[in-house]
Order: sequence, then structure tokens, then C-alpha cells
Amino acid sequence: MNNVIIIGSGPAGLTAAITCAQKGLEVSVIDEYMKPGGRLLGQLYEQPDGSWWNGINESKKLFQQAVNLGVQFYLETPVFNIEKKDSLWVVYTDKETFQTTNLLLATGAAEAPVPIPGWTLPGVMSIGAAQIMTNVHRVKPGNRGLIIGINVLSSAIAMELKLAGVDIACLALPKNNQITHESAHPKKVLDSLLHVAHMAPSTFVKLGSKLMKNNFMKELGVTFYPRNGVKMWDIPIQLKKAVIEIYGEQEVEGVTIASISSKGEVIEGSEENIAVDFVCIAGGLYPLAELAALTGCPFHYIEELGGYVPLHNEQMMTPVEGLFVAGNITGIEGAKVAAAQGKIAGLSIAKRSGKHQLDEDLKDAVQQGADTRKNAYIQFHPEVDSGRRRIQEEWEEYLVNNTVQFF
Amino acid sequence: MRESEMIICRCEEVTYQELLDTAITYSCSARELKLRTRAGMGYCGGRTCRSIVDQVAKQVGSEQSKKNISLKYQAPIRPVNFVDLGGEGK
Ligand SMILES: Cc1cc2nc3c(=O)[nH]c(=O)nc-3n(C[C@H](O)[C@H](O)[C@H](O)COP(=O)(O)OP(=O)(O)OC[C@H]3O[C@@H](n4cnc5c(N)ncnc54)[C@H](O)[C@@H]3O)c2cc1C
Repeated sequence: MNNVIIIGSGPAGLTAAITCAQKGLEVSVIDEYMKPGGRLLGQLYEQPDGSWWNGINESKKLFQQAVNLGVQFYLETPVFNIEKKDSLWVVYTDKETFQTTNLLLATGAAEAPVPIPGWTLPGVMSIGAAQIMTNVHRVKPGNRGLIIGINVLSSAIAMELKLAGVDIACLALPKNNQITHESAHPKKVLDSLLHVAHMAPSTFVKLGSKLMKNNFMKELGVTFYPRNGVKMWDIPIQLKKAVIEIYGEQEVEGVTIASISSKGEVIEGSEENIAVDFVCIAGGLYPLAELAALTGCPFHYIEELGGYVPLHNEQMMTPVEGLFVAGNITGIEGAKVAAAQGKIAGLSIAKRSGKHQLDEDLKDAVQQGADTRKNAYIQFHPEVDSGRRRIQEEWEEYLVNNTVQFF
Repeated sequence: MRESEMIICRCEEVTYQELLDTAITYSCSARELKLRTRAGMGYCGGRTCRSIVDQVAKQVGSEQSKKNISLKYQAPIRPVNFVDLGGEGK
């Protein structure tokens, strides 16, 4: 049996499916969502060259190409367990149980929560939920919202909401506590925000990114940060204000926000209320690796990659025989990088299935992946490259004491 | 609403204060914090609060693991009907 099952139909899974099918493998793709495309579906932004990246169109193109190559799709099918029996993988869903020799996990990323008093009220949602409602289902999450958490993702989605005619009162930090710590610290946030500077038309932020190279300048930048915030796409970014509570009787009616010091401490007496009918929480992304964790695959915590990632090499193999990974499950990056990893995984799987003369292709694909990373427009962590190196080093260290079944 | 009363695990209704107190009192690992408070052991399998339980155990408890996932995953990782689980649904 020369087959492969791919869990996840995001850019990584779809590209891997296309690659495997082109090499003559029998491919099935399983996804719990009703549409193929994964997190690509929600994406909509202008690229540096002035063209628009429309995730719905990109997803359609990939899906159509896969269907034309004979890839089988099982949508609305959550996988709740995977297990190795003899040399076959058994994939359990609530509809069918599947078997395969090669299994690719391309399950993407999940959003990290940020608890704020009142966050269980109806009308509070994750920033990704607001993106999917607006861009995929074309439903406004509300008329006027506020975003808690300032990072690459929340700035990009704020702009998308604005395009859809949804008013955003501001982006602000969460109140500092044992859980939010770094995301509630103005200087740390400013640090990471400098990496989206190229996306912002504001002269302040652009200037900032050149001026604030060293810590001293950053300290100054936060100290003198304007009280009324800096505007990106006309939306105030409030690095020196934190949301201390979300209030409402039956649902969100507003938030209480307060000024904070450059270390993130609330300044007593500065509280004010802002009326909004929805609130988005943006706590950042982490690799969704639950299925890999069930297989006994070793994991490593690598902050630059977004959290715990399954051990894997440049060819997207894990040490568990027949188990491959691609896309955000290996670390948080943009859609183009995920697709490039999907191609690498596809070629690796074809090679393991006995297809010959793929070494050159594989080498090229790995190089292409590195180039895509270098030219990426969206970078979720500024040090992602060093994160990638770390996991490769862990892999090499693992090989010293363990045997891995290569192709 | 006060921060201490804020619900962290919605399924089992565990508050922020309860997690902090438990983690400090017993100097918990993430797993111990979960078992003592039941945070993350409800219907959803900890899909929302898992990373918070982890974070509390790292900040004020004793969790340090870098090489292993601190809170183990167990099948089923998605809610499943008993009929499907038992194979009667087909
Ligand atoms: C909310 C959000 C917004 C984002 N916005 C952007 C952006 O604007 N620009 C950008 O470049 N990147 C963005 N990203 C990053 C994004 O993860 C990548 O761009 C890219 O989509 C990752 O591709 P992937 O194929 O690895 O995973 P995904 O695109 O996330 O696809 C994974 C798929 O796996 C499926 N799946 C997961 N678990 C299971 C299971 N157990 N059973 C069945 N199916 C399962 C999911 O339903 C999903 O369709 C965003 C991510 C998130 C979470």
C-alpha cells in the first residue's frame, strides 16, 4: 500500500497533498473544518509590492489543484486519536477509521488565551474568531470592538476588521498578572512590535524602528510614548494603557482601561470606561501538536517557534517511523513558509514510499523553504531562524543516542 | 469583577486565585496543579485553560520542563459521542 494520510488542509497540508499526488501516491486529506484552507482562509492583506494576498483565493487554487490530481478530501471530520499498529498508522475519526503507511500532521496553530476579569461574557472572542467571522463568514463580530494584546496578528487583523467597516476603539495591553507578564510589559511589546513597523504607515513607528535599535532608545521610546497612543491604519495603538476589566450585565457593554507605567504597573485613578459591543483577545499563537504528543514523539520547548514542538529534521521527518510534520505544528510562521514545508514533507514521504531520484528535489525544496523564510513579509518571532537551528541541533543530539529509521 | 474571582477553567469553574493559592501552597508542577484543582480536566479537555495552568505552574509553582510537554495529552483529543467511541454509531 503506497498511501499517505494528511491531517490538516491548511497551506502545509494542501501543498504536501499536491506534491505527493504528483509523485503518484494515493493521498487522503482529513480536516475538521467545513472548508479546505485552514488559517489561510482568513488572510487578507496588501503585500509590499502592492498586490493583495487573498487567502480565500489561494485556498481555492490549492484545493482545486489537489482535487484535479485525485486527492480524496474528508472535511468536517475531526481526528480524535492516532495510533501505530504494527507498521500501520490507525487514524480515528467520529465517521471512519483510516489506515496508512505514512502520516503527515499539518494541524497548524492554536491561539493562546489571556484571562481578563469578565472574559467569560458573551461578546468576548479570540482575535482569530473575529477574523474568521469577518473574512470567511462575512458576519460582523459587532459594531465597535476593542482588541486586548498588541502583536503581529492583532495588528494585521485590526486592519482587516477596519476594511470590513468594523470600528476598533483601540488595541491595548492586558493588565499585568502571573499569566500575562511579557505581553503586559510595554517595552517587551514595543520590541516585538518594531518587527511589524514595515507594515505601518505611521511615521512614528517607521522612525521608531530605525531609532530604537538599542535598549536605551527603547526605554526612551516607551517613556515618551504619547499618552493618546500611536495610530496604525487610523486605529490607536495604546502601549501605555491596559484593560483591567471587561464589563456588562448579560454581554459585553464595555471595558475599563487604565494608564500603566513603562513597567506595566497600573496608575491608580487613571481608570476610564470605553463602550464597545465586542472584545477580541490576542494572546499569540502556539503549535497545535496534540496528535503528535499521542505518538510518543519527543518534544522541545522553543520559545522562538511558539512553544512545544515535535522533534523533526529539515526533511520534516520525526523520529517516529512514518510520522511527518509540516507547517505551524513545527513553529509559528506565515502561510508561505507553511506551504514550502508542505512541499518538503511531500517529497520526503514520496521518497520513503520508494520513489527514486528525489534527492535533488528535496535539497532544492529545503533551500526554497529557507529562502521563503528569509523573504517572509510576516514574521511571528524575530528570532525564528535561531529557533529553527535549535530544533535541528536537538535532532542531531537525539541521533547520537537513538536510531532513527531513515527511508 | 475582581481579578481573583476570574474563571480560568470554564468547564470545572476554577478561579485564578484558586490556581495561584494551590500552586504556591504545594509548589506544584503543572500536572499536580491540574490534578489538585481539576483545571483542564473538564469536557473540553483543557483546550482553553491548558496554557494558563502551565503558565501559573511555571511562574509561581515548580514547573520547569523544557524537554517534555508538561501537561500530557490523552486521547480522545476532541469530544466524541459514546456511540462513536464504542463503534455503535456506524
Ligand atoms: C487566528 C490565526 C490567524 C492567522 N493569521 C495569519 C495571517 O494573517 N498571515 C499569515 O501569514 N499567517 C497567519 N496565521 C498563521 C497561520 O497559522 C499560517 O499562515 C498557516 O495557515 C499555517 O498553515 P498550516 O497548514 O500549518 O496550518 P493551518 O492553516 O492552521 O491548518 C491546519 C488545519 O488542520 C486542521 N486540524 C487541526 N487539528 C485537527 C484534528 N485533530 N482533526 C482534523 N483536522 C484538524 C484545522 O482545522 C486546520 O484547517 C494565522 C494563524 C491563526 C491561528
